[in-house]
Amino acid sequence: MWAQVINAILGIWLMVSPAVLDSNKTVANNDHIIGPLIAAFAIISWWEATRVIRLYNLLPAAWLLLAPWVLGYNDTTAIFNDMAVGLLVIVLCFVKGKVEGRFGGGWSAIWKKDSVHAQEAARQPRV
Amino acid sequence: MMSKNEEGIPPGWNYNPASWGQRLPIVGLAAVGFGIATYLSLYQLHVFPTIWEPFFGNGSQKVLNSGVSKLLPVPDGVLGALGYLSDAVSGAVGGTRRWRTMPWIVILFGLLVGPLGMISILLVIVQPVLYHAWCTLCLCSAAISVIMIGPAMDEMLASLQYMRRVKDSEVSLWKAFWGYKSVQGKVI
Repeated sequence: MWAQVINAILGIWLMVSPAVLDSNKTVANNDHIIGPLIAAFAIISWWEATRVIRLYNLLPAAWLLLAPWVLGYNDTTAIFNDMAVGLLVIVLCFVKGKVEGRFGGGWSAIWKKDSVHAQEAARQPRV
Repeated sequence: MMSKNEEGIPPGWNYNPASWGQRLPIVGLAAVGFGIATYLSLYQLHVFPTIWEPFFGNGSQKVLNSGVSKLLPVPDGVLGALGYLSDAVSGAVGGTRRWRTMPWIVILFGLLVGPLGMISILLVIVQPVLYHAWCTLCLCSAAISVIMIGPAMDEMLASLQYMRRVKDSEVSLWKAFWGYKSVQGKVI
């Protein structure tokens, strides 16, 4: 979970960084859009049942690596900031952390046949 | 000792996501969100002449009187308050086995908290990008919406897995979804 706490902080940092670093409008808009998304996906994945949502951050984080070149940033600080945050978020996305709860096979068990919850239900006595 | 079934623990789980300990914190958060959104909407409806804004100067004024906030016939604060109220009600209704006794309310609760919660992220993006302003209480409200999503989803997962077992056992999905008495207990 700590990894997703850091990702949430990185997302919030993106939201405030345009003000701190005095970025131009292109940079500011990009950070103001991507920051809340990263923070939200990270916060949702704090809970074990939704830990998989952490991987949703791969997309916005990958975009942060490309954005300086696609949008043509001309400010070295902003290039460094976006790329560093993007890289960190990608690495931390892969840190799953401890999952102690059992969730009947999780989300994929909804469309898979004969998953954990179905097998255990079959073993339980009828009421 | 009570069996897992009586405690309402879904098969393949080690806790009951519909227990009060799991649900009450979410209902409490929704109640706080409702309070904030009600305050914001009363400002938008001109009941209060000013708005509390400790950090961003006239930011809250700009955001709460913006074009996006007036896109619909009622101010967005009113919709937010209604959203939180339905979160709280759908979180509170039903007993501790409701993931299988009334899947419809659990799935409705999940949809209200999840996808609708993401709308608040959209509103957070809109503030600086379109209006170059931040609104403290709007940000607090958005934070509450996002924090509610994770803990609400496990209960929906239990209901969706139950619906899957209903489908596989060829019991009527419709009757199970609405919690008809006639199908209770047929699928664990």
